[in-house]
Amino acid sequence: MKQKATGLKKSLALLALSSVMAISACSGGNGGSNGQSESAPPQSTNANSEGNGNAKEEPFKISIMMQSFDTNLPKADSPVIKKLEEYTNTDLDIQFVPNSSYPDKVNITLASGQLPTIMVVDKSPSFISSARAGAFWEVGPYLKDYPNLSQANDIVLNNSSIDGKNYGVYRGRVLGRMGVTLNQVWMENLGLQPPKTIDEFYNVLKAFKENDPDQNGKDDTYGVVITKYAGPWDIMQVWFGAPNGWGDDGSGNLVPTHMTPEYREALQFFRKLYEEGLVNEDFAVMDSAVWNDPFVNGKAGAFVDVADNARRLNSPMQEKAPRDSSYTNVYQAPVGPKGHRDMPTTGYAGMLAISKSAVKTEEELKKVLTFIDKLSDVEMQDLLGYGMEGVHYDMVDGYIAPKENLDASLIQQYNGLNQMLTFIGPVGATLEQTDINKMIAEVQAANESIVVANPAQPLVSEVYAQKGQQLDNIIADARIQYIVGQIDDAGLDKAIELWKTTGGNDYIAEINKLHKESQQ
Amino acid sequence: MNSKHDSLGEKLFDGFNYLLLGLLSLVTVLPFVYIIAGSFATEVELMEREFFIFPRDPSIAAFQYIFSTDTISRSLINSVIITIAGTLANLAFTFTMAYSLSRKDLMGRNVIMNLVIFSMLFSGGMIPGYLVVKELGLLDSYAAVILPGAISAFNMIIIKNFFQQLPPGLEESARIDGCTDLGVLWRIALPLSKPIIATFGLFYAVGHWNNFFSALLFLNDHTKWPLQVILREIVMLSQLAAGDMGAMDPNFIEPPDQSVKMAVIVVGTLPILLVYPFLQKHFAKGVLLGSIKG
Amino acid sequence: MNTALPSDSKISMTRGNPKRRRWLSRLKKDKWLYLLLLPGLLYFLVFKYLPMWGVLIAFQNYQPFLGFWNSEWVGFEHFRNFFANPDFFRLLRNTLILAVYDLIFFFPAPIILALLLNEVRLAYFKRIVQTLVYVPHFVSMVIVASMTYVFLTTSGGIINELVASITGKSINFLADPSWFRPMIILQMMWKDSGWGTIIFLAALASVDMEQYEAAVVDGANRFQRLIYITIPAISSTIVILLILRLGSFLDNGFEQIFLMTNSLNRSVADVFDTYVYFVGITQGAFSYSTAIGLFKSVVGILLIYGSNRLAKRFGQEGIF
Repeated sequence: MKQKATGLKKSLALLALSSVMAISACSGGNGGSNGQSESAPPQSTNANSEGNGNAKEEPFKISIMMQSFDTNLPKADSPVIKKLEEYTNTDLDIQFVPNSSYPDKVNITLASGQLPTIMVVDKSPSFISSARAGAFWEVGPYLKDYPNLSQANDIVLNNSSIDGKNYGVYRGRVLGRMGVTLNQVWMENLGLQPPKTIDEFYNVLKAFKENDPDQNGKDDTYGVVITKYAGPWDIMQVWFGAPNGWGDDGSGNLVPTHMTPEYREALQFFRKLYEEGLVNEDFAVMDSAVWNDPFVNGKAGAFVDVADNARRLNSPMQEKAPRDSSYTNVYQAPVGPKGHRDMPTTGYAGMLAISKSAVKTEEELKKVLTFIDKLSDVEMQDLLGYGMEGVHYDMVDGYIAPKENLDASLIQQYNGLNQMLTFIGPVGATLEQTDINKMIAEVQAANESIVVANPAQPLVSEVYAQKGQQLDNIIADARIQYIVGQIDDAGLDKAIELWKTTGGNDYIAEINKLHKESQQ
Repeated sequence: MNSKHDSLGEKLFDGFNYLLLGLLSLVTVLPFVYIIAGSFATEVELMEREFFIFPRDPSIAAFQYIFSTDTISRSLINSVIITIAGTLANLAFTFTMAYSLSRKDLMGRNVIMNLVIFSMLFSGGMIPGYLVVKELGLLDSYAAVILPGAISAFNMIIIKNFFQQLPPGLEESARIDGCTDLGVLWRIALPLSKPIIATFGLFYAVGHWNNFFSALLFLNDHTKWPLQVILREIVMLSQLAAGDMGAMDPNFIEPPDQSVKMAVIVVGTLPILLVYPFLQKHFAKGVLLGSIKG
Repeated sequence: MNTALPSDSKISMTRGNPKRRRWLSRLKKDKWLYLLLLPGLLYFLVFKYLPMWGVLIAFQNYQPFLGFWNSEWVGFEHFRNFFANPDFFRLLRNTLILAVYDLIFFFPAPIILALLLNEVRLAYFKRIVQTLVYVPHFVSMVIVASMTYVFLTTSGGIINELVASITGKSINFLADPSWFRPMIILQMMWKDSGWGTIIFLAALASVDMEQYEAAVVDGANRFQRLIYITIPAISSTIVILLILRLGSFLDNGFEQIFLMTNSLNRSVADVFDTYVYFVGITQGAFSYSTAIGLFKSVVGILLIYGSNRLAKRFGQEGIF
């Protein structure tokens, strides 16, 4: 009987515990405004109390939400953050969100109505609709008042605009980032010159396949390695004169790239590459995570992607067998029938949008913009990018030399903070210029004059928002099927017809209408 | 069951069975063995060799690297806290509800069962769910990760059916001894359901351990993240194609090393893998029912 | 105090206001049960039914910042668009075929594995096998997809080299649409068969050993014991899992399919779940993807109730 009683007691305790949990959870919900003020995350309290101007010396509170690309993130008491706060006279609350879940987090934050002061956003449909609904400050007209932000690039401002207005300060990136990386050892072995034209590029690939560039006596090499990620095809078709996304058909109307003859010409070239084995035969299914492997392992000799990948390819090859000079050389795109052209990036990666729910007055807005402006000062670029001089890096001949074997707990102090940099304004210090870095920088600088802009970039299409991915898939699939020879020109025509009837015609009409409106 | 009665056919079956299960174990475990091996290998070896069990020159550099800050160890502790607290809450909520719903004469039972099943299929989705948690003031607390999943309707229904299958005679006799419903649950039903508690405890624990999404939604403070958030981020980042890294600044960010990725997977998986062998004794056949009866 | 049998309460019904009396007395009789029920019930009300308004955004053009009250109502427009979509029948077909494959090939796999394990008499062997086959459940789908590529690629994949050495030519498993479904099912089997056995092993653990002993005495061989004791012991678990599985019949599992899809097999790989991802997540069409989810849920609930009724007709317990 005694045993029974304790059993009963225990089960009662368990029950009480669980019901208390449930009840307390529930009363919070009924508490209404009371519960809400308790639950309000720190960002809601920012700016309001402090920012009324009467306390000029008081640090201004700013909350920031941005992506993280690393998991080893600085804590609030990091000396780097302290220094940043000191420099900008702010009190920062930085919220990192892992990149892979960033869009979800943006959506729930928008839905919650409690936005941070600054939020890094893409031009996603939910950002566009909230910007139109007045959730964010239109910062465009203010930029000219700030020493750094006034130097913003007009093309990029246009690319990042919505209905012609800028609802955020873009985070600038290299516009002409692409490059062709080749295996330098193979080039030397075969006595080849860097390819200047598409024909020469083809000849290099051909030689990589057929002339035994690694001199092992075996037919085990090929030209260019491509994966499921179709970026290289997009880049190469621009070489041929196909527009980047949309192009002018000569009469002032915009046409999508896949409806131009140059696109077809490029695809015929791609097909030839595939038929002759100059590209890996499993490219359509290849896992992008192992994209670098065939190049590093000496199976493929060419890589068409961002120029800075030359460095990423070189380092493991050096690790394997150290060599005095670089294993990789990187070049600009070859010249095609329509001249020297290359694919640009959009020139920005998201923007810093300032919310109206956290920043109520124009005066506060100016304080936030001042903060963003100050981030572009050389001191801040160096601090957020590389940490503190003497602790994380040394200055050698005007270049940044990160300390060797830096402890991960020191890296943690500044890791990821560079995500708030806009790179508008002065150029900060750079890493020491190794040969390969110099080459990359030269290619990217030279690219500026040959990149082809996408005239539809700033346009916000309703049709695309609804059916864009479906439309893109039709064309992307047909292109791959054409390259591997599963469909011929008639099949490609059929796919384009399907694209048109699935919504492509409406899309073309809408883009042209928007384009004309924006021209006025 | 002793084997001297076995016919030739039965012996053949046994041989075939052992062979099949042995092969199957090999096929299922080898990839994980490769991940363990890879976590001790160099970057170059991982690029060169598709599959191996013994790294050429093993090193613990990847593990040293991931433990050189407190990120991994702290998130490991967070994971353990969430998993233990969460599983206990799950079991308390689920078993009490399942037990009362297992009584067919309970008034209102059908209405509640319909509510439960409806909620399995129709859900408000991510945003409304987030708003409820926010209004309850749970953001940035572990309760936000634990409470919204306190009961899996799926598990609850299975447990309820298990309770329904308990021999009714046992309950009757307990009741004649003067037990209340609580007494019956504690003295009769729960002791009889040890395998079920072990099973669903494991299901819930694994669910908590593997869950990264609610942590991402509800925990803004990155020092509170569990290991799976970190693990997933590392795996996803290494999956990004170079040209896809639009938001990554070329001068600053490099995707993580493969060996580091594998080391994080090992650290993130081994602890929960070890739970099962520990629970296995509760699956020992038939002992429970026999002992109660005797 | 709670020894009252059901027949007693029937008698008490006849006095006073019978309906009210009956209601109250049953509440009183089962007060402990209701107390036990309370936390769970509250849980469902707060965390499942409070956010249930989210279902209604299927009839809106929901935008997170505008919120539920300020978003525009559009009635059945999203449903019309969905059913009128030229891809609808292809998506439906792919989804259904994959779901049927899943039910026929994947669903029984853990049951068979559990029965095989149950026949193993060496306790340590059984334990080791159990532990090893459950490992893949913890390998994330991204890794599974990567490994599948490494093993199956036509450029030097181990499995394909084996195939080539036997048959003389390699098979393009990853690109050939006819291999897509078998590949998906095999991945599922590899990943989750072992995990799925746990619940059946738990059900088998509650089988009374005396039954087996009695059967041996009666001269039943192993096959007969399997048919007459083991399988009946887990049949109700099988039926419940089957019914519950039917509720999510149209869910194919987004991540796996997304990862295994490429331009050459998309014709068979596109299913509702991947379509929802493309229109919903990447395009921010919350309402449209909610509408598709609602459609799937309606199908699921019809299947659950239908199969539950069917199960009861065949003398099974069903889910409730």
